[in-house]
Amino acid sequence: MTDASPERDAAADGGHEVAHDDHGHDFPGTGSIKRWFVTTNHKDVGILYIVTSLFFLVLGGVLAWLMRIQLLAPRGLGEGILAPVAYNQAVSAHGLLMVFWFLSPFAFGFANYVVPLQLGAKDLAFPRLNALSYWLYLFSGILFGVSFFQGGTFSGGWTMYAPLSVPTFTPDVGASTAVLALVLFVASVTVSSVNFLTTMHRMRAEGLTLRNVPLFSWTILLTAWMMLFAFAALLAALLVLSSDRLLGTTYFAMESPAGALLWTHLFWFFGHPEVYIVFFPALGVMAEVFQTFTGRRIVGRKWFILAMVLVAIQSFAVWMHHMFLTSINLQVKTLFMITTIGISLPFDLMVFALIYTMLKGKIRFTTPFLFVFGALLLFIIGGITGVFLGAVVLDYEFRGTYWVVAHFHYVMVGGVTALVGGLYYWFPKMTGRMYDEFLGKLHFAVYFVGFNLLYFPLFVAWETPRRVFDYAPELAPWHQLATVGGFVLGLSFLIMFYNLFKSAFVGDPAPDNPWEYATTAEWAVSSPPPLENFDGTPTYRNGHLEFLDAGEVAPGEDRSDGPTGAAVSDGGVTASATTAVTADAELPTAEAAEVEGPSHASIWPFVLSAGAFLVLLGLSPLQDAAFPEGMVGAAYATTTVAGGVVTLGSLVAMGLEPFHGPVFEEGEAWPFAGIDNGKVGMWIFLASDVVLFGGFLGAYVFTRVAFGWTGWEPIPSDPIPGLVNTYILLTSSFTVVLALVAAEKKHKWGLVTSLGATFVLGIGFLVNKGLEWQHLFHEGLWLSTNVRASTFFLTTGLHAAHVIAGLVIALYLTARAWRGAYLEDSRSVEYFGLYWHFVDIVWLFLFPLFYIL
Amino acid sequence: MVTELVPAAAFPLQSGLVPRGTRTFVFESIFEVFLLLGTLVGIVVVGYMLYNAYKYRSGSGNGHIDDGDRLVLGELPSGSGGGRKLFTSFFMSMVIVVSLVSWTYLTLLYVEEGPSDAESLDVEVEGYQFGWRFTYPNGHTTDGVLRVPADQPVQLTITTADVFHNFGITELRVKSDAIPGQETETWFTADEPGTYTAQCYELCGAGHSYMSAEVIVMPPDEYEAWYANTTADNADADSATANESSLRPAVAP
Amino acid sequence: MVSTKLYTAIYVVLFVSATVQVLVEFAGLSYWLAFGVIMVLSAAKAVLVAAYFQHLRFEPRSLTYLVGIGLAAALALTLAASYSLL
Repeated sequence: MTDASPERDAAADGGHEVAHDDHGHDFPGTGSIKRWFVTTNHKDVGILYIVTSLFFLVLGGVLAWLMRIQLLAPRGLGEGILAPVAYNQAVSAHGLLMVFWFLSPFAFGFANYVVPLQLGAKDLAFPRLNALSYWLYLFSGILFGVSFFQGGTFSGGWTMYAPLSVPTFTPDVGASTAVLALVLFVASVTVSSVNFLTTMHRMRAEGLTLRNVPLFSWTILLTAWMMLFAFAALLAALLVLSSDRLLGTTYFAMESPAGALLWTHLFWFFGHPEVYIVFFPALGVMAEVFQTFTGRRIVGRKWFILAMVLVAIQSFAVWMHHMFLTSINLQVKTLFMITTIGISLPFDLMVFALIYTMLKGKIRFTTPFLFVFGALLLFIIGGITGVFLGAVVLDYEFRGTYWVVAHFHYVMVGGVTALVGGLYYWFPKMTGRMYDEFLGKLHFAVYFVGFNLLYFPLFVAWETPRRVFDYAPELAPWHQLATVGGFVLGLSFLIMFYNLFKSAFVGDPAPDNPWEYATTAEWAVSSPPPLENFDGTPTYRNGHLEFLDAGEVAPGEDRSDGPTGAAVSDGGVTASATTAVTADAELPTAEAAEVEGPSHASIWPFVLSAGAFLVLLGLSPLQDAAFPEGMVGAAYATTTVAGGVVTLGSLVAMGLEPFHGPVFEEGEAWPFAGIDNGKVGMWIFLASDVVLFGGFLGAYVFTRVAFGWTGWEPIPSDPIPGLVNTYILLTSSFTVVLALVAAEKKHKWGLVTSLGATFVLGIGFLVNKGLEWQHLFHEGLWLSTNVRASTFFLTTGLHAAHVIAGLVIALYLTARAWRGAYLEDSRSVEYFGLYWHFVDIVWLFLFPLFYIL
Repeated sequence: MVTELVPAAAFPLQSGLVPRGTRTFVFESIFEVFLLLGTLVGIVVVGYMLYNAYKYRSGSGNGHIDDGDRLVLGELPSGSGGGRKLFTSFFMSMVIVVSLVSWTYLTLLYVEEGPSDAESLDVEVEGYQFGWRFTYPNGHTTDGVLRVPADQPVQLTITTADVFHNFGITELRVKSDAIPGQETETWFTADEPGTYTAQCYELCGAGHSYMSAEVIVMPPDEYEAWYANTTADNADADSATANESSLRPAVAP
Repeated sequence: MVSTKLYTAIYVVLFVSATVQVLVEFAGLSYWLAFGVIMVLSAAKAVLVAAYFQHLRFEPRSLTYLVGIGLAAALALTLAASYSLL
């Protein structure tokens, strides 16, 4: 039950059964620069996320200013400060930066900081992977920044509609770099989702059943679930787009049957959940801050949660409402109109719940409350104007106009408003100092005026087409008003930066809980909290938060003074009784590990991310799978190779590094009770990989349906090489099974032989595939020959890439098994097996679809 | 509803409740109702919110949260009562939204059905970077100018020669995507002769801002006279005068 | 949990059914019948691998549901998108 095991890396797991331990004693302090490069602590990572995301807010905001200046008047060609392509770049980069590099990371800064505290966990399940998420995020942002200097960044809008997004129409290297930056960003998000889901399901304090989790953590949980699946679909879309740009496949080419439609499906299947992914955390902040500053518990809590769960599920069934004017049929339009209306209703309930929470309360208009209250107002306006878009006949006319722009800015920047409230709310916890209340309120006043001055006129000027700067002259006054509002809104942040920066150093010291009526656990520890969060073990076994000393695990007497009877009956008393017993039994282990202490430092997440950055930067100028001629091409190729070496090296180093995650006693772990963190993490990752391959197969099926299903011949004329590869993969799966059996029987040479055989079979698979491809190339078939060839090479190529990744791990495991590892603890072999069998299963579908049908 | 605005003879389908007529009429009727109700709901909800925020402000003495059910740090979260009020409001909002959208769905069916082939003029529209080409039933092609008769439904079949565009004439409330390899259909009827502007509503490259066409709605007899003089081979002189064409070379990639 | 003998038997079944899949193609069935048979065989093999090699059968059911959700999402995308073309 107890996971006293070392952290496990889902991608390249190594055993960490190393006795030596370099734990927290030489962990540098927060004043040291080194600390911020090596830290894996969730609170440090949270602060890194917040600071970095604010930087991207400024970048995206400056781009918005450029646009608003351009829009001061209808511009003829060559007028204004931006050339047409520069304007398109500003529009695109503004959208991408704000949605991806600001909004979600800003929210996940809070999630990183607050969620483990609210759960009663010492850290996330995989601290190094958490640091890795951050560094991948930072480097993806840097890569996006680099794209501006490679002939211009991507200019096809944040929705990246095909075929404008392929090099035929946007040939700049920077455009490819921007797409690759997004790929890196998605990698960060996936790692982060796996980590949060494992943590939130597995590492809750005793008595903290899922329904008892605070609302902010609930929103993060649902957000992480949506991210896991939605971003996997986006990854599929981006990998296909990258391949079209770099390798010359023709999925999205103008000539491809329904290539442009394919992009809209893949993109919006991700894009609509993304709306809730960025909005849910804001909703969670609203709920927490409303409760604290009205002094009342939220009205209809369980309905609020149920509404959010419904939205999270349904968000995957509304994507085609972004496509009402495409050639989709009326039946589908009707269906998606209904699901769209259906998904709007739970939000009504949530809004009413928040409003009714104020009744009979004692409302204190502090800065956090003002922002959150304002956010609710803005969200109501955003919601009402959204209903207009749900009526398909109106949507037909609003499509591509400023109505859409105004609506989603009210919703999304409304969300930002709540998150800014969250920043003020948790600032004392994070820094141990109070911000200046007057400046905070001033910020709100200026912000709120600026916001409405910026976005409301856009409703009035809704007939303006999106992304143009030559509009009907009679609309100019509204656009000028909006530009003024844009500057007011943007400049209001200067007040915040000044306030928070100054207060972080010289503000009044903050008590543990500066907010009367706050209830969640982060306020029960010091400001800022100690490195491992709690002095004792947090538990809710008696219906309220208590901290148990290391020796005190038997059910203690009720130490509370308050009338908590109601809360106790609401809590999971029966559940906690059983877990108390198990926790008791597991204690000695926990105590023993406690003496060693967990590690908090690792430089490898940083190095690994830098390596990945170099690889993608190096690949960016590829066209038709070839580097450009001359010195430039050679420099890029060298960068790729160097990046590859760094990446591989740091993966191995990370595997070998003795690193202990924090020890925890399993409290509430529904629905994954009793399953090791590493295994849960691996399965969650595999579930996202299912969606990734699902996206690729979906793209194949869709393209084939558009082409005419039965008129489509498989690319390989001979299914036999494919059949041979099926045999090879099945056999390799079998040898992995044998490896695990051998490890469990502590049979060293059986283990080494089986793993070695797996490796050899994998190589055999690749060689056979290589020969087959060679043969096809000689027949004149290449990735760009036609869309049939593109889907064949790319989908089986993605599978081959999975095989290669598996082989790297197999080689690593074999080498370590040779030296005697995995006999005591065979979990690494088991997790590798889960991955390898999954790759096998994928092939079981690829083979018939691409070779025989 | 304001059905008397529609020339009844032209639209035998019209009935009292579901607006049927030109695209402009359909849009305006629905938009008005939405705007009215939306504003009303917005004012009520926001007003209620502000009123209560003021009423229960700290120090007002109206709240009573300290009467034994005070929030305590470290308690397990639970909800307040008030579920009935919550569900009443939710139910009301649901009724409003569902009935509004169902009502517009009937209009959607009318719009989707479109005019009959017999009465409508069919024009093929092709977008390209950065302009619009129009092909008439006799094969006559124009570039940058669409001429249509007033009071007759025009059926558009829209596609593109290169990237994703969107053809829209905002004043006539007609719009549809122009997608590579696909054809979409839409229709409109113009009441008033005059000159309107068609624009591209999907980002399509450097010239997106200037990708417009003139839509000239002519009195039916003038249109007939003009159309009788066109042939398939007649390269149209109109396009030379279209103001975008002079810009086009400058912004082409 | 499972004996090596059972693992071996499953491996043999997988091997044989992969062969059958290709034979079905040459059996002269109508396209859609062959399509059905082949996909059912693939699904059956996948279930065997997941249930025994990945020992999902012996894990808490939540892990199976987890993968099922991913599968459902992928199928929803594929089927709805393809249907919208028709």
